[in-house]
Parts: sequence; structure tokens; C-alpha cells
Amino acid sequence: MQLNILKKGVADTLQDAGRYGFQHIGIPPCGYMDYLSAQLANIILGNPLEQVVFEIHFPASIFSFNEAVCICITGANFVPVVNEKSVELNTPIFIEANETLQFLQPIQGKICYLAVKGKIECNSWLKSQSYFLERIQTGMYFSVEKNNSSLPTIHHEWLQRIYKHIFQPSPIRFIPGPAWNDLDPASIQILLKKTFSTSLKSNRMGYAIQGEKLALLKPPTYLSSAVTKGTMQLLPSGEIMVLMADHQTIGGYANIGQIILLDLPKLAQLKNDTPFYWNIVSAEIAQQSYIEVQNEFHQYDKNH
Amino acid sequence: MVQHQHNTEWKVKLLGDHAIQFCLPEKIDPFIVEQIQHLNQYIMAQNLLFFKDCIPSYHTLTVIFDLNKLGKMTWKGTPYPIPLQLGQSLLKEFLADTNEVKKKETHQQVIQIPVCYDISLGSDLAIVAKENNIGIEDIIQKHCQPIYQVYCIGFLPGFAYMGKVDKAIQSPRHATPRPLVMAGSVGIAGAQTGIYPMNSPGGWKIIGRTPKTIFNKEMAPYAKFKMGDQVQFFPISLKEFTKQNEYAIEHT
Repeated sequence: MQLNILKKGVADTLQDAGRYGFQHIGIPPCGYMDYLSAQLANIILGNPLEQVVFEIHFPASIFSFNEAVCICITGANFVPVVNEKSVELNTPIFIEANETLQFLQPIQGKICYLAVKGKIECNSWLKSQSYFLERIQTGMYFSVEKNNSSLPTIHHEWLQRIYKHIFQPSPIRFIPGPAWNDLDPASIQILLKKTFSTSLKSNRMGYAIQGEKLALLKPPTYLSSAVTKGTMQLLPSGEIMVLMADHQTIGGYANIGQIILLDLPKLAQLKNDTPFYWNIVSAEIAQQSYIEVQNEFHQYDKNH
Repeated sequence: MVQHQHNTEWKVKLLGDHAIQFCLPEKIDPFIVEQIQHLNQYIMAQNLLFFKDCIPSYHTLTVIFDLNKLGKMTWKGTPYPIPLQLGQSLLKEFLADTNEVKKKETHQQVIQIPVCYDISLGSDLAIVAKENNIGIEDIIQKHCQPIYQVYCIGFLPGFAYMGKVDKAIQSPRHATPRPLVMAGSVGIAGAQTGIYPMNSPGGWKIIGRTPKTIFNKEMAPYAKFKMGDQVQFFPISLKEFTKQNEYAIEHT
């Protein structure tokens, strides 16, 4: 079957778990911004956990399908409608031949995922199908190799728990980075006690954080060094820039902390100007809680 | 055979919850870069499946690991390998390993890169000349003289940070980055020089342009330079540039 892009969105892409093994030549990892929602869409359809999905921002692309197919929409609620009838998130949706999917308004979250039951055919570059610098364009079409396996049973309570990891308001947790001790003590107090929010200047490369300005004890003279998804860079302006999926591989700004993997989806989905708090967490807790949640996903993946 | 000296100032640190960083003293030093390269080669040779990326830079080697794969393993009596201890253990083995000395390339070729320093391509030549009170001919001569070392790759795919640039022609970045720097542009930022592999916004002072492709998306090894490479520039005329230009299609 074939999936067509009737009209392109503002920044839609195809993403998988990312492109690793090439950061030493400067190639960003890319991949899902909110991996929990992307994995959820695949699990609900019985697809492999880290299959390629459409990552959709608002205003979103308009999709049409030339044959009956089963899809799933997760992540942000952009009010999806199929032939003008609203459809639910986080559940399989049965599309008829020649129906059209569009998204009307951004009610909750920032990034939405569209998975198709089966496999979306698209090019792979350096072992990944994640787009880098490219965008979904009007008139593009993608072949889908459908599969008719039965759909797995997803426990509602588990779905709710995963949903909370992504959308329940709570502090964004981080582990202090190499330049943490170079922060002015007053700035540390501000960071740990005041609210911050993401700003308009946020995209797949990085999220610009607004809030009270922070300062270093002395002028920065760091040599460039590798950064990761979730690195909190303190810019000369005193603002924090959190590096996201398409981040450059090394950076020379003060690296004051790294957001933990489990909380990255939450930050990715935070709407601009929504206040949040920061919280320090230990690496052990961060690693254990991430592994626990991922093991639950793998359980569904295996059982099916 | 020259007796190889291991640096004893290594430190291993966690970088967030899914990376570790091996660090040497923070300074621009060819010997430190060499040590980082050796550790990089050593770790790559271990073929550890839970390592997703090894990223060398001036004084650090950062290893991104796969927490999922790590979470499924047991290691020395713990439920899964504790990344920091794993890093320390790797470092200890590396320092005890004398074989790695042999891996070093004995003879390294200097990569020669043609650059056209015509004023029409080196848009900041006049600024660099004025800042340093030096003639454009002298800038060209001083930029082409040294054999530069590639300290690290980053910023853009294939972008090599090279140094050191002669003090007489050093120049700081523009206060505000230019919205478009053309692919192949050769720039200076302080003591560093580098080539933009693709069209991009950029803040380096542009003194010329190479006709050679620096990053090729379609063909391994993709990037012309890697860390530790030695590079030298040589001047070519505008006519020669036009004849050799490998970017022709993108530029029109």
C-alpha cells in the first residue's frame, strides 16, 4: 500500500532510534525526540519497538492512504481527524482506502508520532532511517509493507504509567555536568529554586530555556568536548540551551548538566512558556529507572 | 623503538546517565591528542556492543553507551556493569597494555589542500589584514606555512578543528555569526583554522575557499579528515579554483 503526503507540515520527519557510530566524524545522532511515545506507537501496533515512524510537529502534514491499513498516533494531541471524524490517541485506528488524516490544533504536547502497522519503506543512511537536515515534503509518497499479525493486548494501567512519564508535570531531572562547580553559587540557587520554561527558539537541535539568567564564577575558557542528548549548555547570554536529537557532536560552552534519559521525552513535549522546575538526581537512580521502563517495553515486544 | 610514555593524569567521569568521559588536562597539546587517539583505538578494538559512539576531542574521549544493553548484562557480581567502574577498568587495562604502541602509524602523510585566497572568496581577508596590520600576501603565506594538526571533528559533519594558526594572523570569531557561509570556505577562529564542509551559518573569519569536497554523504569514509591528521594548505588562482571546483552544482 502507499501513504501520500498531500501537504507538508512545518518540520515533519521520519525517525528511528537514531544514527550512532558516526559522531566522531561530526554526524549528529538524530532519532526520536520523545522515544517513549514513538516506542508506544510501535508496541500498540505490534511493530518492532524501534521501527521508523513519522515525527510530526504543528502545523502538521496531511496524510492519505490508498488502501485500508491500521495506524497508531501517540505523543502530542494535535486533534487528529480521519476524513474529518476525530480519532483517539494511543490506540489502533483502522483506516479505509483513500481516507485522509489531518491534525487540527495543538492541545497538548509538542511532538506527535504516527506509526503504520507494518514497515514504512524509506532510505537508510549510515545504518539509520532518521532524517537529518531533510523534511517531509508535499507530494512525497511512501510504500508500506503491511503485516496482518494480531494486535497485542496493552494493559491500560501500564499505558497510563508511561503516559505519566511523558506528560505529568514534575521537575526535569538532571545530573550535574563538568562545569557545575564553575557556576556562581547564587546561580545554583536560582537553578534549583526558580521555574524555567522552553522558548520559541526551540527545535530538533536544541531547546532554548528561558528563566532567570545564570552566571559562571569566571569567564569560560573550555576546550570543545563531546556533548550528548540532554546536555545543558550555559550560553554567554546566561541562558541554558538543552541539546536535543539533532545536536552537534561537540561543544565549547559550559556543560552544567545532563538531563536524564527518562525525562527527555517530558522536556521534548513541554509546550513553550509552561513553567517547570529542575531537580538533581543521581546517575544510579537515573539508570535504574530508565532500564526498568525500557524492560517493560521489551516485555511487550517479546510477548507479542 | 622509542619508549612510549603513558600519561598518568587520566580521569574517568560520568557524563549524565548514558556516557562516560576519559579526561586529560584541559589544554591544546599534540601529545594529549595522541594519548586520546590511542585510548580511542584501544576501546574501539575491544568491540564492546554496548558502546554506541566514541567521540574524541582535544583532551577528552567520550563514550556513549547503550543503557538497554548494559541493563541486560551482569558484571563482576553486580546486576549490570556500573559505567564508571567499567570505564576505570578499561583505563587500567589500557594503561597496562603495551601492544597499543605498535598500532601507531609510523609514517603519517600530510594532506595537501588547495585554497583560493581571492578576495571574492575570502570575504574577511580585509578584516583579518586590518586587525593584524598585515598584508593579504603575508596572510596567505603565513596560513600556508604550518602543518596543522586535526584536534577534533564536530560542529558540522566532517568539520575539522585544526591548529595552530600563526599568531600574526589570528582573528576572533565574528560577534554575530554570518547567516550563510559557503561550503569549502576556509576560516580562522583564534588559533584554529577549519573548512566548512557544507553551506551553513558560521562565525569564523573567512579567508579563502577550497574547491575540494570535505564531506561526502554518499561514500565512506565520508569525512576527508579525522582526528590526528596532518594538513597543509597551498594557494591556487581563481582560474584554477573554478577548474577544480567540486561544489559546482551546489553553488549555482
